[in-house]
Amino acid sequence: MITAHGLTRRFGDRMAVDALDLEIPRGEVFGFLGPNGAGKTTTVRLLAALIAPSSGRATVAGRQLGAENQAIRASVGVLTETPGLYKRLSALDNLVFFGRLQAVPEPRAAAERYLRLFGLWDRRSEPAGSFSKGMRQKLAIARALLHEPEVVFLDEPTAGLDPEAAKSVRELIETLRSKERTIFLCTHNLAEADRLCDRIALFKTRLVTIGSPEGLREERYGRQTVVRLASESPGIERALDLPFIREVEARDGELVISLGDPASENPILVRRLVELGAEIQSVGELRVSLEEMYLDLMEGENGTD
Amino acid sequence: MERISALLRKEWRESLRNKMVLLGVAVLPLILVGTSIWMMKVGAGVDDPIGEIVLFNTSLMYFLLLPAIIPLAIAVYSIVGEKEQSTLEPLLATPLTDLEIFLGKALASVIPALLVNWASFGIFLLATRFLIGGVPIQTLTAPWLAAIFGLSPLLALFSVGVTMLVSSRASDARAAYQFSSFAILPALIPLIIYSTRQTLVDLRLIVLQGALLAAACAIILFFAIKVFRREQILTRWK
Repeated sequence: MITAHGLTRRFGDRMAVDALDLEIPRGEVFGFLGPNGAGKTTTVRLLAALIAPSSGRATVAGRQLGAENQAIRASVGVLTETPGLYKRLSALDNLVFFGRLQAVPEPRAAAERYLRLFGLWDRRSEPAGSFSKGMRQKLAIARALLHEPEVVFLDEPTAGLDPEAAKSVRELIETLRSKERTIFLCTHNLAEADRLCDRIALFKTRLVTIGSPEGLREERYGRQTVVRLASESPGIERALDLPFIREVEARDGELVISLGDPASENPILVRRLVELGAEIQSVGELRVSLEEMYLDLMEGENGTD
Repeated sequence: MERISALLRKEWRESLRNKMVLLGVAVLPLILVGTSIWMMKVGAGVDDPIGEIVLFNTSLMYFLLLPAIIPLAIAVYSIVGEKEQSTLEPLLATPLTDLEIFLGKALASVIPALLVNWASFGIFLLATRFLIGGVPIQTLTAPWLAAIFGLSPLLALFSVGVTMLVSSRASDARAAYQFSSFAILPALIPLIIYSTRQTLVDLRLIVLQGALLAAACAIILFFAIKVFRREQILTRWK
């Protein structure tokens, strides 16, 4: 649904996006993560046919960037970093206007559908400027979805929303995924990216890494089992002599054990620990948070700058 | 065409809810129509024929001033307002072409300016007819009518082009308004000459001003269209 090959954008001497290669299939929720100033917004603007690349090529929704820009803009929905609503116009007028620009067959009916979906129908006649931050964000999301785009670019969709509203936006993203829409999600909310995204890309002017959150974790940290011991068992980590164990570390009453396949190896491990006289309180898989991994990778990236 | 029409309707809806724009569009015409009617009335009672002509010419000159001034407020808020509300990017993310955005914005200012100007002129004619039996035929000559109906669109276009260029570089509506007001002054200089001329306005002057204005409009609009490209708007505009 989105492909990019060597997509590059320079502003004078400054490189904003450096030879980006991407392949995002239909129906994928793709997280695009990176620090402020990394070039995420520029990438979205490139892929949404708002600005031209300095070099490279891309297709969005099957249309060639550069040659079919207008068709691309008709096939994508963009939620910008700020809601960008006409504050003097009512919520309904805001949506109907964009519906007309996007050639939605019945803009008023489409606007009503989305205003109802986001619980804004009762306030449809009020100026958007009188809305709370969360309501404005919902209205902006409704605007991005109004024409049922094949690809949706969402820049910080839950920023400023209360937990309930943020949950409803996440549910909406899940619904869009089930409708085979492709979601390009820029967010600093790493827990949200972890929960929602099929794949994530860490980006800082160039692609740092790309993959599923689980795959990236496994690739970087392997799979680790944490065994919490009820009582101290000095030297037990040295006594563990199972062939599949890659590494054992004892810390604060816990054993952190790197394994190849925890599903089949954990039962054998637990049995052996019991044989060695360990009193086991709990066994679980150590899951490095996406935040930890992000900081780890970005630290490495800063080191290479 | 459908998209330009949607943009026009949106612009006018917004303008109708903006007090500053409404003031700019409605108050000045009211003042100038009132003043021109009063001047006609005074002129009708003056014995000196030269003084009478100057008063009549000045009152008619106001209807060439209005099309240049009315679009300022609409155009400024149409551009700077989008910047202030951060609505430019969502607008640019639609299938609107660069030219459609430019035309929508420009026409949204030019059309009301011309309608208000010509309506004001109509009110002025009715009022003078009622008060002094009409504008003296030797004053309201064909060249004046040609100016009011022929030069007005050019003056409005020039004003809108200049204001759009200025607004693209401004982030504050008041500053843009003030700077644009100064920038359109050269186009108004001939009007001051007409109003102080003690003889009747002739067609050669009007045609000359029209030609100069048309050339100026072509240059200004050429640059304004260049400035109104997505790439420029997103990467160069302040």
